[in-house]
Amino acid sequence: MASASNLTKLRYRFIPDHVIGEILSKKWIDNAIPFLVLVCVVLIFGSLIPNFYSGSNLSITARQFGEFGLVGIAMMVVIVVGGIDLSVGSNFALGNFMMLALLNLGDWPVELAAPAVILICGSVGLLNGFLIGYLRLRAFLTTLVTLIIVRAVVDMLLLRYAQAMSVSFYESPLWDLMGLGGFFGIPFSFVVLVIVSVVGHILLTRSRPGWRMMAIGGSRRSAHNIGLSVRGTICAAYTISGMLCGLAGVLYASRLSGAGTDTGMGLEIAALTAAVLGGNSLGGGRGSIVKALIGALVVLLMTNGVLRLGLNSGSGPMVLGLTLIFAVFVDVKWLKNRDKLLSKVYVSPTYIELPKPVSTAQADNTALSVNDRLNDVEIIGLGEVESPEDVILDDDDHLYCGTRHGDIVRFLAPDYKQSEVFAHIGGAPLGMSWDKDRNLLVCVGGMGLYKIAQDRTVTKVTDETNRSTFSVVDDSRLRLADDLDIAPDGRVFFSEATVRYEMHDWPVDALESRGNGRIICYDPKTDKTHTAVRNLIFPNGICTSQDGQSILFAESWACRISRYYFDGPKAGQVEPVLDRLPGYPDNINRASDGTYWAAIMGMRSPALDVALQMPGFRKRMARRIAPDQWLYPNLNVGCVIRFNDKGEILESLWDQHSQNHPMITSMREHKGYLYLGGITNNRIGRIRLPDRDTSWSGYQNYWGQNS
Amino acid sequence: MIGAMRDWADRFLGRGSAAVTVPPLDGALKPNTRLDEAPKGIDADEPDDMVVVHGNTYCSAGNRLLQVDENGGATAVFDAPGTITALAASPEGKIAVASEPGGIHLVNGDGSAIAVAGEHDWQCITAMAFVDDATLLICVGSTRHGIGEWQRDLLSSGKSGEIWTLDTGTGKAARIAGGLAYPNGVVIEADGNIVISESWAKHLVRLTPAGKLVGQVMEDLPGYPARISRNARGGYWLSLFAPRSQLIEFVLREPQYRKAMMAEVAPEFWIAPALRSGLSFHEPMQGGALKQMGILKPWAPTRSYGLVIELTPDFEPVRSLHSRAGGKRHGITATVENGNWLWLASKGGNEIVAIELMRQGA
Repeated sequence: MASASNLTKLRYRFIPDHVIGEILSKKWIDNAIPFLVLVCVVLIFGSLIPNFYSGSNLSITARQFGEFGLVGIAMMVVIVVGGIDLSVGSNFALGNFMMLALLNLGDWPVELAAPAVILICGSVGLLNGFLIGYLRLRAFLTTLVTLIIVRAVVDMLLLRYAQAMSVSFYESPLWDLMGLGGFFGIPFSFVVLVIVSVVGHILLTRSRPGWRMMAIGGSRRSAHNIGLSVRGTICAAYTISGMLCGLAGVLYASRLSGAGTDTGMGLEIAALTAAVLGGNSLGGGRGSIVKALIGALVVLLMTNGVLRLGLNSGSGPMVLGLTLIFAVFVDVKWLKNRDKLLSKVYVSPTYIELPKPVSTAQADNTALSVNDRLNDVEIIGLGEVESPEDVILDDDDHLYCGTRHGDIVRFLAPDYKQSEVFAHIGGAPLGMSWDKDRNLLVCVGGMGLYKIAQDRTVTKVTDETNRSTFSVVDDSRLRLADDLDIAPDGRVFFSEATVRYEMHDWPVDALESRGNGRIICYDPKTDKTHTAVRNLIFPNGICTSQDGQSILFAESWACRISRYYFDGPKAGQVEPVLDRLPGYPDNINRASDGTYWAAIMGMRSPALDVALQMPGFRKRMARRIAPDQWLYPNLNVGCVIRFNDKGEILESLWDQHSQNHPMITSMREHKGYLYLGGITNNRIGRIRLPDRDTSWSGYQNYWGQNS
Repeated sequence: MIGAMRDWADRFLGRGSAAVTVPPLDGALKPNTRLDEAPKGIDADEPDDMVVVHGNTYCSAGNRLLQVDENGGATAVFDAPGTITALAASPEGKIAVASEPGGIHLVNGDGSAIAVAGEHDWQCITAMAFVDDATLLICVGSTRHGIGEWQRDLLSSGKSGEIWTLDTGTGKAARIAGGLAYPNGVVIEADGNIVISESWAKHLVRLTPAGKLVGQVMEDLPGYPARISRNARGGYWLSLFAPRSQLIEFVLREPQYRKAMMAEVAPEFWIAPALRSGLSFHEPMQGGALKQMGILKPWAPTRSYGLVIELTPDFEPVRSLHSRAGGKRHGITATVENGNWLWLASKGGNEIVAIELMRQGA
């Protein structure tokens, strides 16, 4: 298997199969099925009907689309809020009639008449909204009644004024532009539709009113409970719907300049079909402008296509109905199974070949040989803290650690029997460091980089960085800020272990062993954050080296420690320091004699090393068996190693039967003692280190006078 | 053709016959800690098989046949030329001892033994039972792998087990069944039918005295079955020497990985059932076995387990005794009942355990 063919290696190096899962996890992938239906319709009708997409036909279709698209959006807005608007057809007819009446009979200019008509239709919508939103009447019945009443009003008006209108004729360049012209060959109504769509999309997806509408549609009771004004928003949605119908009526009037009794008949059915076909959920809460447009386009093309094919008069609705059933069926299945598919497809293990590990056998008697040096640890805070991933001490010898409840707990010197909550941050506090002004900087998993001042106030330092251009995943957010350290000039370097998974999914990242992580630099002088090194395999511990020009960082699943130069002649380069580790390195911190401590949180097992060269095996394992049955790195036994800048391991301390410290994630040397932390543990350990500097402390070493 | 296509689809989607499912431990098999709570037993080096003859309990450990009593005493009765792999008690009171190497010996109560000259030279004898005073039924686990390579036989989907009859007087041997997936235990029912445990198939099957397959007696066991012995109520005691787990079931369906693992990894670190686990950090670990807050959960996935089941005469489970994840008495290969005492050979825990049945209400 060491000869896993070069083909396999190349295939996993160059084919980015993790992108499939990332695309599926995007929100806009819901539009995939309706879009597919659209493509099918376009292709089928394009092949059945010659010249379906010729210039003039496209222009006419685009003009029709401009009007019908607006009605579709009107229907979508109301559906998204959880209601339904059956009166769009009659409103549309009213708008059409009123526009022509104002122009021909009232002699109003277009610039005045159009807004007036929009307001008139908007007021019909307002009536709907008032009855449904404030008086809490049923949407279906109310809009049905509005449909009948407005249709009746239009019929009465037509009866009275149709003849007068038909003999007069309105002319104006603006009117001609609206009806027959356009901009650079693009029809006017289509341009209006595009503007409305763009504005509507931004409002619906990126503004508070839009979010509130989606929230109310998603769950009206919950929205009410959190204090959103449900009634007002519903009323507003119907009003907007009315206004959009009015605008559509204006454009229709400009195109056809004729008002008949069957204008807008059946338009509400077509709009409803369009909305559902596009994927808007009739129950509310799920919908978008793009979905409405796709649905409207499909309906329009099908209606036109069937008409051009010359089929019998019932075939149009029949074909439309069948397509609707098919599209809804596929869409429902997709919505139900998308998450299941995503969870199976997202995990994309890759090929990684780890070098043969250094031996840990006792018989070899090397610095890394297994021993029992951690058998005699003193235990601090047994059962009082849970998940102290990192520990740090200040100059008064007080001991600080994070807990999984989001607290920073402080144990008071000298016996560490009393503890108090120093500050509460939230998230999962991980690596910690002191800066020059004795503020405690903490990497909080799930939140970002935070700072606690001496007076215990918590401030956010940074929680975002620059987004990579070609990353599908939005990596401007920090998911798992792990460990940090501070350069002599105050710049903070911290690791983000993975951009593809949240904090609690770290075992899945271990299964992938992909270069999903990065090292990020925050500069307090400019208050800017940028990504310094990319594509690292679970970067974990960070430690500024004693020469102040580079940081040592650990890549856990790659079992190695490397150095990144941020200053000096080699700035920007990465070079290996320690390779062939027999386990997975976690935090790295300075030792008192110019060397460094590293925590090895788990040991490599040969069966897993073989599996790392078979990504297909790991992928099937991730899909077929439960996560707690997966083959894991053996994180039950770990050790602490001390190494120097040249990469030589000088000593190691083991708890080989994992009695007190199964997974050692961090260690801190302070005044002759070594303090141990573990993320799956409920205690902190302390062991006396013989022959070490009993006056050495981390803060003094970094920021004291002699450094 | 349809079957082949369905099989291929099953394997691709991981459903049907390729589904990785493990039967739950429920009902009479609900986990408990009775094996771990039992009092201290007798330390021995890999105790394997046990028999009861004339009210005395005998256990094989390594090369030696020991007579054990409930006060903790163990006296060596017989030293075999090789590791003892199976025992059987004849109706007259002789003990048949199979050792590898060395063949089969018949041991009397006083320790004297005669070698049984069989026509055939067997390797990997896993269990034996006397049909009558002269006829011995021999289970051969695998003809391709030795007794110590049972993990390799499992991972190679071994199906080369055989059942032989041997006339101890004349030495004539006849093979009555073959192609079995590691027969590991045998018991003769009252009507003469033979029930054997097929370990890799995780079930018990019934054969006629002539060796023809009648049917499955217990199917889809939650562990790999070992020896079966009679109890005083007409039922049986079944020992299961290792648990089933989803990861091992999955690996058994991945031929390429198995091949690579067997080539590159030492056998004690394979993803395979084991008699004992947790001794080295090079062993494969499953996610649920991660210690949280200092505790290894008893229901954590584990490669070794201690499980003994009591069965009715119809092979229905009545009660069970467990040693759960992190426990000491794993890898129970044989269980016998002698009067009020239940004796178990914990091969993984290197201990011969005795449990009082009546007093504890076990």
